[in-house]
Amino acid sequence: MSDNVRLSSLSTFPRLLKHHAQVRPNHPATREKDLGIWQTWTWSQVAEEVRAMACGLAELGFKRGDNLAIIGDNRPRLYWAMYAAQCLGGVPVPLYQDAVAAEMVFVLQDAGIKFAIVEDQEQVDKLLENMSQCPDLQHILYDDPRGLRHYNQAFLHGLDEVQEMGRIHNRNHPEFLDGEIELGKSDDVAVMLYTSGTTGKPKGVCQTHGAFIAAAQSGCEFDKLGPDDNILSYLPMAWVGDHLFSFAQAAYAGFTINCPESGDTVMTDMREIGPSYYFAPPRVFENLLTQVMIRMEDAGALKRNMFHYFMGVARRCGAEILDGKPVSGTDRLLYALGNLLVYGPLRNVLGMSRIRVAYTAGAAIGPDLFRFYRSIGVNLKQLYGATETCAAVCLQPDGQIKFDTVGPPAPGVEVKIDDSGEVLVRGAVMLKEYYKRPDATAESIDAQGYFHTGDAGFFDEDGHLKIIDRAKDVGKLASGAMFAPNYIENKLKFFSHIKEAVAFGDRKDEVCAFINIDMGAVGNWAERRNIAYSGYTDLAQKTEVYELIRECVEQANAELAHDAMLSDSQVHRFLILHKELDPDDDELTRTRKVRRGFIAEKYGVLIDALYSGKASQFIETEVKFEDGRKGKVSADLRIMEAKTFPSQAAKKAA
Amino acid sequence: MQFFLEVLIGGLLSGVMYALVALGYVLIYKASGVFNFAQGAMVFFAALTTAGLVDSGLSLWLAAPLTMVAMVALGLLTEKIVLRPLVAQHEITLFMATIGLTFFVEGLAQAIWGANVRSLDLGIEDVPLEWLLENANIAISQFDLVASGIAAALVTMLAIFFSKTKIGRALRAVADDHQAALSIGIPLQHIWGIVWGVAGFVALVAGLLWGSRNGVQFALTFVALKALPVLILGGFTSVPGAIVGGLIIGASEKLAEVYIGPHVGGGIEGWFPYVLALLFLLVRPEGLFGEKIIRRI
Amino acid sequence: MSEGRQIGEVILDLKNISLRFGGVKALTDISFDVREHEVRAIIGPNGAGKSSMLNVINGVYRPQEGDIVFRGKHHRDMNTYEAAKAGIARTFQNIALFKGMTVLDNIMTGRNLKMKSNFLLDALYWGPAQREEIAHRRKVEEIIDFLEIQHIRKTPVARLPYGLQKRVELGRALAAEPSILLLDEPMAGMNVEEKQDMCRFILDVNDQLGTTIVLIEHDMGVVMDISDRVVVLDYGKKIADGTPDEVRANQDVIDAYLGVAH
Repeated sequence: MSDNVRLSSLSTFPRLLKHHAQVRPNHPATREKDLGIWQTWTWSQVAEEVRAMACGLAELGFKRGDNLAIIGDNRPRLYWAMYAAQCLGGVPVPLYQDAVAAEMVFVLQDAGIKFAIVEDQEQVDKLLENMSQCPDLQHILYDDPRGLRHYNQAFLHGLDEVQEMGRIHNRNHPEFLDGEIELGKSDDVAVMLYTSGTTGKPKGVCQTHGAFIAAAQSGCEFDKLGPDDNILSYLPMAWVGDHLFSFAQAAYAGFTINCPESGDTVMTDMREIGPSYYFAPPRVFENLLTQVMIRMEDAGALKRNMFHYFMGVARRCGAEILDGKPVSGTDRLLYALGNLLVYGPLRNVLGMSRIRVAYTAGAAIGPDLFRFYRSIGVNLKQLYGATETCAAVCLQPDGQIKFDTVGPPAPGVEVKIDDSGEVLVRGAVMLKEYYKRPDATAESIDAQGYFHTGDAGFFDEDGHLKIIDRAKDVGKLASGAMFAPNYIENKLKFFSHIKEAVAFGDRKDEVCAFINIDMGAVGNWAERRNIAYSGYTDLAQKTEVYELIRECVEQANAELAHDAMLSDSQVHRFLILHKELDPDDDELTRTRKVRRGFIAEKYGVLIDALYSGKASQFIETEVKFEDGRKGKVSADLRIMEAKTFPSQAAKKAA
Repeated sequence: MQFFLEVLIGGLLSGVMYALVALGYVLIYKASGVFNFAQGAMVFFAALTTAGLVDSGLSLWLAAPLTMVAMVALGLLTEKIVLRPLVAQHEITLFMATIGLTFFVEGLAQAIWGANVRSLDLGIEDVPLEWLLENANIAISQFDLVASGIAAALVTMLAIFFSKTKIGRALRAVADDHQAALSIGIPLQHIWGIVWGVAGFVALVAGLLWGSRNGVQFALTFVALKALPVLILGGFTSVPGAIVGGLIIGASEKLAEVYIGPHVGGGIEGWFPYVLALLFLLVRPEGLFGEKIIRRI
Repeated sequence: MSEGRQIGEVILDLKNISLRFGGVKALTDISFDVREHEVRAIIGPNGAGKSSMLNVINGVYRPQEGDIVFRGKHHRDMNTYEAAKAGIARTFQNIALFKGMTVLDNIMTGRNLKMKSNFLLDALYWGPAQREEIAHRRKVEEIIDFLEIQHIRKTPVARLPYGLQKRVELGRALAAEPSILLLDEPMAGMNVEEKQDMCRFILDVNDQLGTTIVLIEHDMGVVMDISDRVVVLDYGKKIADGTPDEVRANQDVIDAYLGVAH
């Protein structure tokens, strides 16, 4: 592993790039599908492209300490622009390409952006419209010239032309760029990633070369990633996950990143590339599974039966086989057969044939969903981290996968739970500061140097971290036991029949919940049982539906009972709301998170009814329709008791 | 087991040759929507012409290309004289025209070369392959093997031709929508001409192989009728369908003859494929590979 | 390609066109011209003869009277194939794609006239034929990129939603690199978003490739937005011809659209 020894002495990303260009000049570094063909750039070509771009930027006046905005889909030249900025001692600031103008303007102002590299006409237009609000912005560089022929503003430059300028500059001053790279230090800021921030304005998280290299190194060594791995780079470049996987780890291990043709072609491109390393938020895994299920429902009887039979086998033993646990000979044989007939073809369709390691993070993943992928032989794991910690705090090690924890702390990262249950992190991967926000920096990094994640969690008996909620949402039941509403709600939402759930219990004796049924799933369920209904409100109040939901709630209770910390949080009573919670009625945020406080206030009468033991409660609510009209929905809501279970953990202890 | 394999392989080999005949139908049907009943007559015409030329003293290597020229000419003329004037007529009209064509072509062949049974020697002996006989104790005719090898090569070539090349694409375009094809500058008549020419070529190869195997006689036209169940099985519009259909028919008729035949008195090879096709029609009328027709109401 | 969009000389001149089907007069004595690089719209109420007009230009119908001058050549009895060869491409009101073929193959057929290799080489899929195929494939990929339909490249057309089919049909017409593009109701049956996309593509084609466009459209708003000049037909006769503003102000046009009795 002499390569690793040398790698660790390379303290900035531009030096890593130069290293790969020397050690593996002809190894593919970047691929992009363009005009239907995969184009490849080797590490030495990428180094040349970056050199041209950096020199071109320097020619335009980009200097040490300047920030470079990068806006667009995952394009090779936008990734290279990050290196280019870093070569000159500048800081790349990737922005979400689909952000609305106001958000974009905020970041451009906050980061004092003078230079922006954007993908295409769409982004150029967005910037041009808001030029007046960004007085600092001096140059806009674009990757794709299509449609920009008639734009004649002097501050607009095609990247081709800038790179050409750079090549001439490099010929005249061949020593210049290497000198600049030599000036770079490990604790220089390497990248600034803006956190979306649930409250207040977004903050620029400054991460140093050292931090991201440490995060990349620990991840690569943990999963033995090497130059021959491949990853599909399709998640927003402004997101810490993509920066870690597609930039930092690729730069560290020297593996190949592959840029899809467009957002719509990701599935096809993935099948063609067959990545060995993959990352996706739970939402993507869920969509893929739904597509598979729909296709199976449409398939012929033979295929469908075979699929269901072997999925049963996989559920029984697939995950265990992947973990290397003992499994009976018959099951092993059946699984091998299933692999030939079902799992293999399925992985192929999903583009997951060659995956060695796949990660998910960003939100809680449903246990069934998680188990599905593992059972068909995809080594899906969870990780935990935040923008402020380079997305690398905890990783699940191979063979020790649990569905509801995120694994033990990554090598070199220290994790502590404080008295209030908040997760604290210390280590090389921590942020340097929030850009120009000493107040926020001081608030989130304490005197001992711990970063306060804002997440609540605890370690289980095996030392795996279990994240249960946002710290500020966690309360206490009257008994003093921990109450984590999000955790309970997620558990309920993992049932396909439940779309939204709102749990109450802070400073109360018991936990009660509001439920929104999933109109599609429950509607389908009802139709198959010949239950007639006229709409959401009607369906929600059917006795059969209440029974269905009660089963779900009781199952969730049974699971909660297994957990020493959370067994008091079992749902005692619930009701199904008469209307769907809606962002238009301010009940959900635009990203569909429940606004618990607002709901508690709006439906106070229902909460009172839940806790007073009534059997039903009348309610009338004003709703906004899609066309802006307002109307009223009213119903007599039934309230149902759910069975609770004695704490299993307590029993074990006794 | 060896016997079973022997029957199966023999069946598959003759299946390839059925596929070859079926292909002639598929080509024309795909391109112009005409079910060319005369395909069998064309096979007969080709075989008889070659045999006639050989008997009159020409070498096979000269006779075959000459027949080829005649076949393409026949195809092109048919398109020009019979079908072009009937463009946009009802399908059944076109079908009737090809039935007329059948009698004409058969008559023409016999008028030129007479009605005698002739033999055609391609120089491949119809003896079991020794190597296979010694090593696996399976008797497979050398002729069948070579013939189906030729047929398979031809079928593959045509399949590639239609899926990869400009003309193949143009042909599929024409098959799909005449008006649209014209509007983007695909010369309709040109394409039809090519298709009829190719169909003539396919008929020649089929005629040579079948004629050499069974003798050049009027009964050759019945071999062509065997292509019907193949088409029903495979679908009228699919080249791969013709191949798979041919294999199924070939193998099943031989197996049925050997294993079911004795129980019902034998000789079922002649009609078994039709029964199979009939049963198949009930289950999947569009054929294995045919385009599923969904009528929206 | 052209330097921006400068409306040039008349390239298509229709003079006194009359078209009859038996005793029914579809078009009566219609004259108008189309200039290079412009977007020319033909509008009119239902049954005004718009589609017939397009079919005359494209050689589907042969007018009994009148003269068509295309790039200085007289063309009264041109057939569809010859029209295509002369550089006139079109799309159809009811979409005439090759339904069983993929998007890629459909657009490739549009290159048919540009392909030179002969039958024999093509049959062998060998040498020059293969090289030519690759060169054309590249051109087609540029069109696919232009119309943003990469994700459906290998999808059989019949499986696509209506709006995308329309886009593919435009792609196939573009593949022929036509000098005039005839669009028969390119936005019929589309939702607002699809219409916006289509408008953008039409304007991009006109602007970036310099293609002259003649289009029929029902949606008046769209027509007025994107055309340079508009000709209005009613009952097979021309009732107005001019810029969108002139046409909008024309009393005959207002009457025709409001259905005043003749």
